[in-house]
Amino acid sequence: MTRPSIAKGLRDALPIIFAYFPVGATFGVIATSNGVPWLIVFLISAWVYAGSAQFMLLSLALSGTSPVSVIVTTLLVNLRHFLYGTSLGPAFSKWSEAQRWMMAFGLTDEVYAVTSSRVQQARPVVGYQIPFVYSCYGSWLAGTAVGATIGKSVPVAVSDALGFALPALFLALLMAGKRSLSYFVAAMVGALLACLADMAQLGNVGMVFGAVVGATAGTLLEKRRIDRQGVRH
Amino acid sequence: MGWLFWETVAIGAGTYLIRALSLSGGSRIRWPDAAKTWLSFVAPAVLGALLGPLVFLSGNHWVPLLHNPTWMAAVPTVIVGAVSRNLLLTVAVGVGCFALIRQFV
Repeated sequence: MTRPSIAKGLRDALPIIFAYFPVGATFGVIATSNGVPWLIVFLISAWVYAGSAQFMLLSLALSGTSPVSVIVTTLLVNLRHFLYGTSLGPAFSKWSEAQRWMMAFGLTDEVYAVTSSRVQQARPVVGYQIPFVYSCYGSWLAGTAVGATIGKSVPVAVSDALGFALPALFLALLMAGKRSLSYFVAAMVGALLACLADMAQLGNVGMVFGAVVGATAGTLLEKRRIDRQGVRH
Repeated sequence: MGWLFWETVAIGAGTYLIRALSLSGGSRIRWPDAAKTWLSFVAPAVLGALLGPLVFLSGNHWVPLLHNPTWMAAVPTVIVGAVSRNLLLTVAVGVGCFALIRQFV
């Protein structure tokens, strides 16, 4: 691991670190205020490490849903991570199996978003990727621990303003990408379908549906563009 | 609370296996060009699918643009992101704009 690559990893992690801390703290506050023991709250963040799935686990478990239903429903929500691993896989083909498994533990929505943008620019190196992934994880754990410990005394204005950190990060990543018509069409189709699914209260199904249909729309448009160029030449 | 421990263990193990097996499998397979092109569009589509509900909805309902501080803060954020291509600067400006807009909306 070289210093510049570690520094770059930590620099890229900063927006996620700032965003994860209040969300982790919110999870800690909600869980402990519903009577979940501190150690279990921390274990959920440390072992599951998936924001929406953690909130869903908490809500289903506290509402008395059967354990099998809780497990199956929450894992269905997390199935979208299959797309992440599959799409990043080719960029990590030079890594050892152990390194890939170490990296995979921290493959959250936000880590995927940054990583997929970075691997377009250069092959991922361990010295960048592992500090990047695990500093985000550290922030999530620290936020959970603080939230579970101090309860409801986090200033509302601070957590409210930091609530925009994740949308801002996603917008920054979108604008740092390819900037072709097919790229933005993929994003817009994804956004539209996810919104419609949310309005129909279909939950995270919309995210997977939006991702699959959006990627397909972008691919078809790109193919049409290439075909047209071929005809002109 | 006894079940919550075992639910956590099972969900954590399942989530990790989904992440690790897909990354490991994805790196071994030789993808055809068409699949590689499709996979290259997964990232913008996922970003769009994450952003759409965050920016335009609140509690599964559409928020009118003139009463939507997230949308209002998203506009300068996109401009700074497009011009600078700097993640940290864009997020900092975005959060600052959002905090300011929240004072009025």
